[in-house]
Amino acid sequence: MSEEPLPPPAAVTPEFRAAQRWHIVWVVPLVALVLGAWLIYRNFAAQGPVATVRFDTADGIFAGKTEVRCRSVKVGVVRKVKLADDLKSVLTYLEFDSDAEHLLRSGTRFWVVKPRLSVTEFSGAETLITGAYIELDPGAAGGDAQSEFIGLETPSTTSRGVPGRRLVLTAEDAGSLSVGSPIYYRGFEVGRIEGRVLGEEGLKVTFAAFIGEEYSHLVTANTRFWNTSGIDISAGADGLKLRTPSFQAMLSGGVSFGVTVGDEAGKPATDGMTFTLYRDEDSARHSGFNPTLKFLLLFDQTVRGLTDKAPVEFRGIMIGRVADISFDLVPTAGDTRIPVLIAIDPALMRPESARDLTTTDSEFLKAAVGDGLRAALKTGSLITGTLFVDLDYYDDAAPAELGKSGEFTTIPTVSSGLAQLEAKLTAILDKIQALPIDQTMADIAAAAVEAKTTIVESRATLKEIETTAAAARKTLDDPAFRELPTDLRKTLEKLQKSVASIGPDGAVQGDLLRTLDELRASLRSLKAMTTTIEEKPNSLLFGRDSSGNPTPKAPRGGR
Amino acid sequence: MIRGPLRKAAACGLAGCHTCGRVAPVALGRCPRCDTRLHLRKPASVQRSLALMIAAAALYIPSHLLPVMTVVELGDVSHNTIISGMLQFWSDGAYPMAIVIFTASILIPFLKIVTLCWLCAAATGRVRPSPAMLGKMYWFTELLGRWSMVDIFVLGIVVSLMQLGNYMTITPGPGALAFAAVVVLTMFAAMSFEPRMLWDRLDELATAPDPNTSQPKS
Repeated sequence: MSEEPLPPPAAVTPEFRAAQRWHIVWVVPLVALVLGAWLIYRNFAAQGPVATVRFDTADGIFAGKTEVRCRSVKVGVVRKVKLADDLKSVLTYLEFDSDAEHLLRSGTRFWVVKPRLSVTEFSGAETLITGAYIELDPGAAGGDAQSEFIGLETPSTTSRGVPGRRLVLTAEDAGSLSVGSPIYYRGFEVGRIEGRVLGEEGLKVTFAAFIGEEYSHLVTANTRFWNTSGIDISAGADGLKLRTPSFQAMLSGGVSFGVTVGDEAGKPATDGMTFTLYRDEDSARHSGFNPTLKFLLLFDQTVRGLTDKAPVEFRGIMIGRVADISFDLVPTAGDTRIPVLIAIDPALMRPESARDLTTTDSEFLKAAVGDGLRAALKTGSLITGTLFVDLDYYDDAAPAELGKSGEFTTIPTVSSGLAQLEAKLTAILDKIQALPIDQTMADIAAAAVEAKTTIVESRATLKEIETTAAAARKTLDDPAFRELPTDLRKTLEKLQKSVASIGPDGAVQGDLLRTLDELRASLRSLKAMTTTIEEKPNSLLFGRDSSGNPTPKAPRGGR
Repeated sequence: MIRGPLRKAAACGLAGCHTCGRVAPVALGRCPRCDTRLHLRKPASVQRSLALMIAAAALYIPSHLLPVMTVVELGDVSHNTIISGMLQFWSDGAYPMAIVIFTASILIPFLKIVTLCWLCAAATGRVRPSPAMLGKMYWFTELLGRWSMVDIFVLGIVVSLMQLGNYMTITPGPGALAFAAVVVLTMFAAMSFEPRMLWDRLDELATAPDPNTSQPKS
């Protein structure tokens, strides 16, 4: 384009005109300022509310790192950890996200989630590597705003948000129940123990129990809870009972509940209702027991084996319990009978009886005593020796009637149980005593005398045998008798020599052989003689050569 | 050949096109080759670079106060600002590393802002340094400009690499945004600065007290 003719360069001054007062570029620093301010504000000023939570220890909690989570969603972070002024706890300052302010309300709970290993649970495994965090369980909606909390040392096993029935159980003894112990209904796990605290004055242990929503209808006003922890071995009058819960409950304890047979279920339970936690199923079952009538029994026998709460039965049906055994119950001094106070629940009797038995001195009872109703101690178990009070009609009982001792009505008693046993034993002993033992002893003595005579006689016989034995010994001891074996040996030696002379090498043998040879030769010559005589009888006279027999000659030339 | 003091193109009414570099009389208004608007000098350059500089300075503060990097290492969350990271390296004994971070992330942006502001002041005649000084300063800003982004590059690489789920995760924090903005803004500021203004001012000071009246004749 340089070819193009340029216009003559005009004298132009560079425009150093005063810059415009306002240029669009100034928007950039404005935006930057706003952005920077906003970033800082968001990071620092816009932090949400701060709450202080008190924990026993700050184990696993680090300022600036440990998070606060609600259902695993991060809602804040620990800003500072400080030792409390009393040095007995730590204060953690939790800084929440600004949108988490509503979580800080009354009822909100905090606890540290860290690895926990127990029989019932293994939780917080993820925190093994990620470190502990603080879990927040928001309180009920609409609670008052709150900024100071006390952290739980043990985690709540179920979040408050989980629907279900939350109940309070009170027990005299915690047993092996601990947080997380299961709650069973007919052996089926329906809930958990969420917490336990020692009640005021240390008289009771209070458990927080949680029943899942789907099972909450099972809990009603008349529901009874009992401890199913451990192995229950009870030796009762009906034998040895061994009851074991599930393996888990055996180790960690457990709670069962149910409605006692015959009881109405009642209205469904509401949150926060308090129930008694019975020691075992039996006490739960008998917990419906509501004694209204008290009687005093005066026993003229030992009550060893009878304990408080021992059953009071009417022909085997439990109608009450022993309430007290104490001399204090009888105001009159010098009475050696043992007062036993029993409490009877008419509801446990037949309805019509219960109706009649409204007061302790009702006509019904008077009539019954008149008919022979008596109280007696009976042995419940021979093994354990426990006693119970038995009410029964005794036809042969001595006439008696309802009495009065102090403020209590007394029911007449009869000796029974051990006392009866004692009487029977006495009877047996009496019979033994009546046996003709003296006569028998005399007979035995006579027999003994006889035996003695026999023994003397046999002793004489023995003596004789002894004498014989002595004589025999004497003979044996004689020296001549002793040499007998030596003589015998000598004789044997001689005999041996004789035999040797006869043997193959002996002299006799040689003589004998020679004699035999000679004899054989004689016999041969004798045979020859006889043959000669046979052939030529005259040879005896004329000799052999004069025999008339032709002499055989050899054939001539022929051979 | 032209004798005497060199006549500047501006004095002749000639301007170089910003886009294609063609020299054309500024009176044409637009470049005869590429139709870009012709200016003797970048318009409102001091204002622009000053405004961008202020913006950079405004963001410089949050960029160092806010975490640039959030490291989640085995659930252990740590927020790192540039300074805390540097101090961490320093206390760990990695002195060269700490020095590099300090220089690239703290010192250079700061120096860049300061020197550019000083140059702006010089361009408007508020300070009157020697030409040699001006030359050195301008060279210095040019040199610094290339290193400002180091941090952001490193962060970008680390963040994209360290995504190991629960074991280790690194996420950029708000500080990184601010820091990147600082770097970008200083770059723009440096770009919009018109160094010729410096020399104009020098000439002006050398020839006449009033630039409007000094009109060198051809």
